[in-house]
Amino acid sequence: MELDAIAKLVFDILAFSSIMVLVVLGLAVIASMMGIFNLGHGEFVLLGAYTVFVFRELGLPEWAGMLAAPFLVAIVGLFVEATVIRRLYVAPVIAMLATYAVGLIIRETVRGLIGGQFYSIDEPIQGFIQIGDVSLSAWRTVIIFITLAVMAACYLFLTRTSFGLQIRGALENPMLARASGVSTSRLYAFTFAFGAALAGLAGALMVPLFSLSADLGLRFLVQAFLAVMLGGVGTFEGPVLGGALIGAMVPGFQWLRELPLLNALIQPIVAEVLVFVVALIIVKFRPQGFVSKGRI
Amino acid sequence: MIPIVEWGLLIFLLIYPFAVSFLTAGDSAPDFNNFWVIRVTTMLILAKLAISFDLCWGYSGIMSFGQGLFFGLAGYVVAKFAEELGWLQIFFVVPMGMLVGLLAALLVGWFLLLGKRTPTVIFVALGTLTASYAAERLVAGWLWVGAGNGLSIWDFLMIGSYELEPGLIFYYVALLFLCLVYLGSRYLVRSQFGLVLAGMRQNEERIAFFGYRVQIYKAIVFSFAGMVAGLAGALYSYHEGFVGPSSVGIGISTYAVLYGLFGGIGTLIGPVIGAGVIEILRLFLSDIDAIRNYWPVVLGIIMLVVVAYRPTGLLGLIVSERERIGSFGIAVRGKAAKETPPARPERTEGDDGAA
Repeated sequence: MELDAIAKLVFDILAFSSIMVLVVLGLAVIASMMGIFNLGHGEFVLLGAYTVFVFRELGLPEWAGMLAAPFLVAIVGLFVEATVIRRLYVAPVIAMLATYAVGLIIRETVRGLIGGQFYSIDEPIQGFIQIGDVSLSAWRTVIIFITLAVMAACYLFLTRTSFGLQIRGALENPMLARASGVSTSRLYAFTFAFGAALAGLAGALMVPLFSLSADLGLRFLVQAFLAVMLGGVGTFEGPVLGGALIGAMVPGFQWLRELPLLNALIQPIVAEVLVFVVALIIVKFRPQGFVSKGRI
Repeated sequence: MIPIVEWGLLIFLLIYPFAVSFLTAGDSAPDFNNFWVIRVTTMLILAKLAISFDLCWGYSGIMSFGQGLFFGLAGYVVAKFAEELGWLQIFFVVPMGMLVGLLAALLVGWFLLLGKRTPTVIFVALGTLTASYAAERLVAGWLWVGAGNGLSIWDFLMIGSYELEPGLIFYYVALLFLCLVYLGSRYLVRSQFGLVLAGMRQNEERIAFFGYRVQIYKAIVFSFAGMVAGLAGALYSYHEGFVGPSSVGIGISTYAVLYGLFGGIGTLIGPVIGAGVIEILRLFLSDIDAIRNYWPVVLGIIMLVVVAYRPTGLLGLIVSERERIGSFGIAVRGKAAKETPPARPERTEGDDGAA
């Protein structure tokens, strides 16, 4: 095992983890704020990816699509919140079923639009960055930095701005927040749109690494769920940690295949399923998650 | 009202193949193995899948997005037995399918339901979804079971030395099994065991305080439902002559959810009606060129509307609340109507991540 390969593996793990962190952050923000587990979250990721595809089909550059995706998906999220979710705050389980139905509608619409095909999309920034002997993919570097920037911005937004203060207040005690003149329904709408925007951004950024297909969202929904379960619910750090771990497992298991003995044992498809199995087993034996209690 | 619907449906299903055969025959001799008989056989099989979902969600509050897993897994196993060993006897195939469904459901149930802490609805929903998704990905990439192409069953199901082709006889076999499943399920939910289930959906915590081990009850119902789904899956793969990744995964699981919700959960006849109506919709909508690619969107919209506006489903239109829930022991008149449980299991404690 050479230094070059190890650096590459670590780098891959960082890039995949970054994507998962973005997806999971959006899911966790909605879940902790509104108590609704958004089963349509994967389809928001899909919509982000699809936006980039549409931009490319229109002859526009990919980066423009990636820039537009979070905003377009946020608008979709606002629309969904206003038409469906708002009615169902009192019954989170019914809301969950409704988000599943919304996800189904989005998924099948996209499937109808692109057919059953797989499309690959080029990275907007191609080439490699050379550091010593190690060459790293430029686009993955960009993903890592964007994720770091988004997380820093989220943190500053929540801790430094007055709107962030309102959000933290509403999270702590919605009744009291309402009594103090904070419009929680406006906050919820904003939160939902924000979570959707994060998903859209993640989808747009990762689509060059995966290929675009209608079932893309499901994969991310399942992985994000496992990440939240691994990390522990109701905290900020937990899901992020879980997301990073799930993101790390995907290239990690692929890499295990390069070892001589395991090569025959772990087929590519098994590597993917193994992620689910390992995550479920961890959840089974540590149901409270890595971070059992914390605050935002 | 429910008995009228039940008997009406049974009588209709009994005479349907003859009626449709004579109606479509025109001047020529009626063909009893025609398209309309075969399509409705599929519906009868899928109705069992719908019942299995309803047992989970409608009767014990297990939001299962993974009924397709047991359905498809049983289909794969019996298809593999047919391919490798040529075991085609119905007396082997059906118990085998049931056993596979039961064991798979026991495993998933042990994993998701019998934990150290009480699982939330979200956890169970996404856990079953994950299991189903993982199974779909696994069989789609596994060459031994045909990978993406699935397995074809070239032979027919056998009863003794009689070959059971899709058609009139298969129709009645499927109907017979549907009746058996229906009666078995009804016995389960109307027994003392079912009384505990009814108490659980009204107030799960209170039942737990009475000393019932709620999660064990849930696991039992889940396993039984898995067995029913396995039975359906075994019959389905023989009827279609094919089993593929799509009959294991999210797609078929979503259909099971839709059948149940659309027909009306919490009753046994509801999912049967739901399966029938949705399959008829599928039959006609996917035939229209303009919306062929988009008809699953229609299903999504139906699900959304049902969930948000009509949680009691189609059956809720004609059946009163009290009758939907059913009664146990000596009927209490007048007062009982006021005390009927809510229309759907209210498990508001199940919201993950609520601060």
